[in-house]
Amino acid sequence: MAPRVQSRSVSNLLPYITSSSSSTSSSIPSLCSSSQSSRYFSATPAPQTKLRRQMFEWLSTQGSGLKHHTPGETNYLRMADGSQSNRPFPNNMTFISEPVLSEELRNEVYFRVKEQKKSPRAVSVELGIDMNRIAAVVRLVELERRQRDKVNFDSSPFFSSFEFSHSPPPRTQNDETPKNRLHCHTLVLCTKWSPPPPLAQAGERQTYHEPINDLPVHPATGAQIFYPVPESRPFTRVDAGRVFSGAPTLEKKVSDKITHPSDLVEDVIQKPGSIEWVGKGDNARQVLQPADVRIPHPQLVQLARDRAAFPEERRTVTQRHTERLERQEKAEKERAAHAAERRNRNTETIEPQDSRFSFRIKDAVVSEETVGKNGRAPWAPGRRYGVPTNDRTRGTVKIPTRVNV
Amino acid sequence: MRNRASNSLSKGKIRQSWSKYNLYNLQRLRSPATANRTFFQQKWSAKALGRAYHGEQVREGQWKRMFSKRIRSVIPMDTADLAADDGSKNSAGRGSGLQTQGEKGRPSRIIPFTQMAFAPLERRLDVAIFRSLFASSTRQARQFVIHGAVTVNGQKMRHPSYLLNPGDLFQVDPDRVMFATGAPKTKFERRETRQLKQKDEEEVQDESEAKSEEAAETKPDTEKEDGRDTLKALMAQAKNIMSTDKEVLPAKRKQELRGFQKAVRRVLSRSGTSTILTDNLEAQFSELTLMLNAKRAEKKPAKQTKQAKNDSEESDAATSVEPEAASNKLSEAFQAAAEGADVDASELTDEEFEVLKRALTQMRDNPIDHSKPYATPWRPRDFMSAFAFIPRYLEVNQNICAAVYLRHPVARPGSAEVPTPFGESISTPAYGWYLKRRW
Repeated sequence: MAPRVQSRSVSNLLPYITSSSSSTSSSIPSLCSSSQSSRYFSATPAPQTKLRRQMFEWLSTQGSGLKHHTPGETNYLRMADGSQSNRPFPNNMTFISEPVLSEELRNEVYFRVKEQKKSPRAVSVELGIDMNRIAAVVRLVELERRQRDKVNFDSSPFFSSFEFSHSPPPRTQNDETPKNRLHCHTLVLCTKWSPPPPLAQAGERQTYHEPINDLPVHPATGAQIFYPVPESRPFTRVDAGRVFSGAPTLEKKVSDKITHPSDLVEDVIQKPGSIEWVGKGDNARQVLQPADVRIPHPQLVQLARDRAAFPEERRTVTQRHTERLERQEKAEKERAAHAAERRNRNTETIEPQDSRFSFRIKDAVVSEETVGKNGRAPWAPGRRYGVPTNDRTRGTVKIPTRVNV
Repeated sequence: MRNRASNSLSKGKIRQSWSKYNLYNLQRLRSPATANRTFFQQKWSAKALGRAYHGEQVREGQWKRMFSKRIRSVIPMDTADLAADDGSKNSAGRGSGLQTQGEKGRPSRIIPFTQMAFAPLERRLDVAIFRSLFASSTRQARQFVIHGAVTVNGQKMRHPSYLLNPGDLFQVDPDRVMFATGAPKTKFERRETRQLKQKDEEEVQDESEAKSEEAAETKPDTEKEDGRDTLKALMAQAKNIMSTDKEVLPAKRKQELRGFQKAVRRVLSRSGTSTILTDNLEAQFSELTLMLNAKRAEKKPAKQTKQAKNDSEESDAATSVEPEAASNKLSEAFQAAAEGADVDASELTDEEFEVLKRALTQMRDNPIDHSKPYATPWRPRDFMSAFAFIPRYLEVNQNICAAVYLRHPVARPGSAEVPTPFGESISTPAYGWYLKRRW
């Protein structure tokens, strides 16, 4: 009978045995099967816990598919029933990984806003992208071009291969362009851009990227209010808004003029200050406007109403829509210009010669708002006798709260 | 701050990280048992689990101050619905609308409010960097910020706890992003790096010595040899990758590399004094593309066996770049093709050119560079794809590693924008825990 080698003694003898006899060395792989293959000359079982072993087992079997991905497809953990989905967290059914803008779509947005001089509002409706995102995309693409211009072309091949013309940039044959600039697009699905007819008609629609008419839920609407109304009286969204903000009921004369809540849109756009206020002091608040006014694209409601009113006259509808948009843009521009003018009127800008700085000088205004009741308010400008600066006291946070562009 | 965020398997906590340990923990996460546990206990363990993922780097007191019970939500409105009704239909009758038995409104989906319990943390700069896939974990994002690799609206921002405002644009140093998202080096590559460093040091020493000793002496003219050397080096690298990373490389890429290797070998064997092989890769690439274009344009006339014409044409095409050598080589190729001679090892077909071109493009875009802190050519980290998603409140541009924080995350019917690995069974008790003021 062959001598039985105990595992402990083998571990001590191993370096000598392996070189000389082949018969005993055959038992070694089984001994160190659990350990990694990098430990050739050791029979000591690697310090693997059960959990670690299980983990590596899972990673090499079921989890192996997650190691690499197919370009252009998402590759998330499988759900409990073994199906692939666009939910990265199998336990959380409410979080969905949504597509991002493709490079072509981004360039298209930039082209429409910067070169075709379309308003972000119009582009947002055409492509189904949120207005904030439109602004962000324009900023980012502009930054990209500026940074590309800064870099010397000869020294960096990274940028020179890229063409920033209106035509979508040529895609490489294999999608697996492994540079960082594209890896996220290959890992996360993107919204494809296909050139549709401008202002897509019924039937043909641009694949919308996201919902553009999101109504933010106002905290005032969280309350449950019992409000008795006679059945004979129509109770509209305008009335509901007034009830939520605690405003008195509209007079009949006024309410009869409003045929539809979207009639208020024009007034609010032309004069945002015309919204009624209720309450006093700290409790003062503007009357809650109906959803037709508060959504980002109120003109679309009016467009839909026009379409219903003039079903056969497409031209009239379009004309009214464009006129409305023009009026809206004009009002917005005027307001911005007015604000800028007022700002400039109060401040004087001095740029000394050979100086890096420009000084903006404002006239000091001494009033209750600027310096407080006793003239020593903490927000008042300058150092004041007897008012300590509290920037060194404990608990004062000096982390900036905003960074101006 | 001490990093307590280990990925221990026994605890099984989930972190904001792309580590494979984390992936395994995420995969085996089950909602905690509620039987035989008091409501307090349930809330306690739920908030502990939730906080291990959300803002583990934030002190509890700090988070409690940030917590807000008010949760932002939006309702997507349908303009056609708004236009059709002024709201009086909904309030008709006894206040809840006149509805016949047949018609029912759309089934309304629940807004998952409590899934947004940790939404204020998503405003933090370090978390936003992690969410836009610029760092492999929030801890790493935090380090990037502290080390000064991040700007907000063009100004360097050194506070990871800076709360982004809607419209803020933040940008991370691209090299750091490549390092964070790229696969780590193998030990062979690390060795290469060491050798490169040693070589550089020696060179610097030599140069300084040489300069001090004899300033007037010019360097030996090795420009001609240089291009050939680079191509040789490229081939060696391809070979090296093939031999070392066999398991790591996907099959497709392996094929490409093999093709590239072949193509380079052919070029080397064919051209003794070739001018394609200029000193830098960039010029080499552009020349090759030009040559390829010229060849394509004249491939068809070549088949018509009009040799002389071909030669003249193609020399015309090539004069702009390399007047003589390139045209000579091409003419040789065309002669061979026209005479029907075998176009084998010494010849580059279109396909081969294509391969060479593609390989060179890749080499140019994604070069092998041992001085980088990540494995080159760059490839995404293993197991990264399981974590790759970009939430809607961020707009990311990967080309410049910049992103814009568009707005605060919101909940909408059926979905919540805060990326959290936990379901309602954990987030609701956790939200409940912070609703009560305990301090």
